[in-house]
Amino acid sequence: MKALGTNLFPILNLEKETKRWNQLYKIITEPKPDIVPTPRQSVWKKNKATLWYHPAKAKRHAIPVFLVYSLLNKAYILDIGEGSSVVGRLTERGYDVYLLDWGSPGLEDSDITLDHYIIDYLENALKRALRHSGAKEISLAGYCLGGTIAAILASITELPIKNLSLAAVPIDFSIGIFPDKLLEGLQNGQLSLDRFADAHGTIPTEIMHLIYRMVSPGFASSKINLITRAHDEKYVEKWRRMDKWTNDSAAFAGAAFKQMFNDLYQDNKLLKGELVIGGRKVDLKNINCPLFVFSCSRDTIILDKQSLPLMDLVSSKDKTYEVFEGGHVSLVLTGVFAEVWDKWLSARSNGINN
Amino acid sequence: MSNEKNFDPFFGFNQLSEMWDKQITGLLYNLTDNKEFVRTASFGINSYSFYLERLRKNQELIATLMNIPTKKDVANAAKQSIQTEEKIDILEEEIWKLQDSVSSITKENVGMFEEILNIVMQMKNEFQKMAQEVAEAQKMNDDLQELRKEIERGLIEIEQEKQKKEPKKKQDKDLVLTGINTI
Repeated sequence: MKALGTNLFPILNLEKETKRWNQLYKIITEPKPDIVPTPRQSVWKKNKATLWYHPAKAKRHAIPVFLVYSLLNKAYILDIGEGSSVVGRLTERGYDVYLLDWGSPGLEDSDITLDHYIIDYLENALKRALRHSGAKEISLAGYCLGGTIAAILASITELPIKNLSLAAVPIDFSIGIFPDKLLEGLQNGQLSLDRFADAHGTIPTEIMHLIYRMVSPGFASSKINLITRAHDEKYVEKWRRMDKWTNDSAAFAGAAFKQMFNDLYQDNKLLKGELVIGGRKVDLKNINCPLFVFSCSRDTIILDKQSLPLMDLVSSKDKTYEVFEGGHVSLVLTGVFAEVWDKWLSARSNGINN
Repeated sequence: MSNEKNFDPFFGFNQLSEMWDKQITGLLYNLTDNKEFVRTASFGINSYSFYLERLRKNQELIATLMNIPTKKDVANAAKQSIQTEEKIDILEEEIWKLQDSVSSITKENVGMFEEILNIVMQMKNEFQKMAQEVAEAQKMNDDLQELRKEIERGLIEIEQEKQKKEPKKKQDKDLVLTGINTI
């Protein structure tokens, strides 16, 4: 009789349900969480960009690391909070970490091109990181579009880059998650964003967020995921950080936006070896340092096919390609990036024997 | 009670939503994956840009008439501070170059002084060696002089002995000669 009752009237765990709805109420009413960065100090500032130095907790590697993230995001994607931070996990593993925060451009930065970002900002920041650390070489790592920028810099700079690591990096722009006809339209000039970029000057964050939503429209499932697991405090905390990140895009300088669409998406100049940055021809063959590329198996933003061609284009003899089981966002949000990278990097970073 | 399975009202809903999400994403993909959409999007973007340009122009015009600064004016002012920052960066790099050249000159000087010191030390050692050799040569000279003197003394003695023996010999000779005569 009791079993029949149980089958007909399912038992609700009241404690769990109370917790679930309390957490949801909190999310709706409370402001978005503050992101507490890993202990850091500012090394250099230029315009809105800042070069942050995160010292190792107990230094175990002589060669420092330099992180480059996508121009579309904000710096905290690599330093999202204790326990999940890529930067934090690297400092725990004994690396001195340098992170270039691009900042969010304003109208006065509308004429900043990729050339400026790569030469005036990234190369200069790398110089300063080398100078600040006193190291003779540095390991460079890039995530997403930051990986593309890091690969471009590595192929044109004379600065001593010891190792290059690229995660979820687009190199081949002729394919992607965009619908084929839309990509075709971009490639044959039928769909041009030049006038749009010029009219805006600097593309505001709201428009960038809209573009991100168009690229990755599945946002209902994340909300339902939250409701399903709202009783789990840790999950809620992570979800809130992810939510803050996905709703907090950076603005994009108009000139760089145009250059990105015209040189990369339309002409695919990086893959063809026709890209010129700061008067220097970008030839990926010039990359001869140890190279580590990894893609995500469930990436809905950057396909592994977009990263793979790089392996054949570089001159590096020591090159590794791996596929990480996860998504584009979870790679950095869970801090797994640091773990995957450390396994490869630790043997190539001149360990210090304490 | 613990063996009884609790009912999670959202478990099935979550699975369904994931399925719907995928379907909606697929639908959106199909709706945008055609030339008509591309044409419409292009038209939409151009119209949007056109009206935005007009709005900006009018805004500038009104601001000029009202004599109030626009965001563009503020941006131009901000650009100057960015230029200053760039100049400071260039200066910083020049200071680095100076620091490097000074430190390399210092290193070179240190190297030169080290070399001079080495040469001086080497010369000192050579002089000490030479002094020892001169002393030894002097000693040898003294020994030789002493030896010479001894030889000379020996020679004199031999000469003297010779001279002593000479009259005796003469005497003997005379005696011998005298003896012959007596026989």
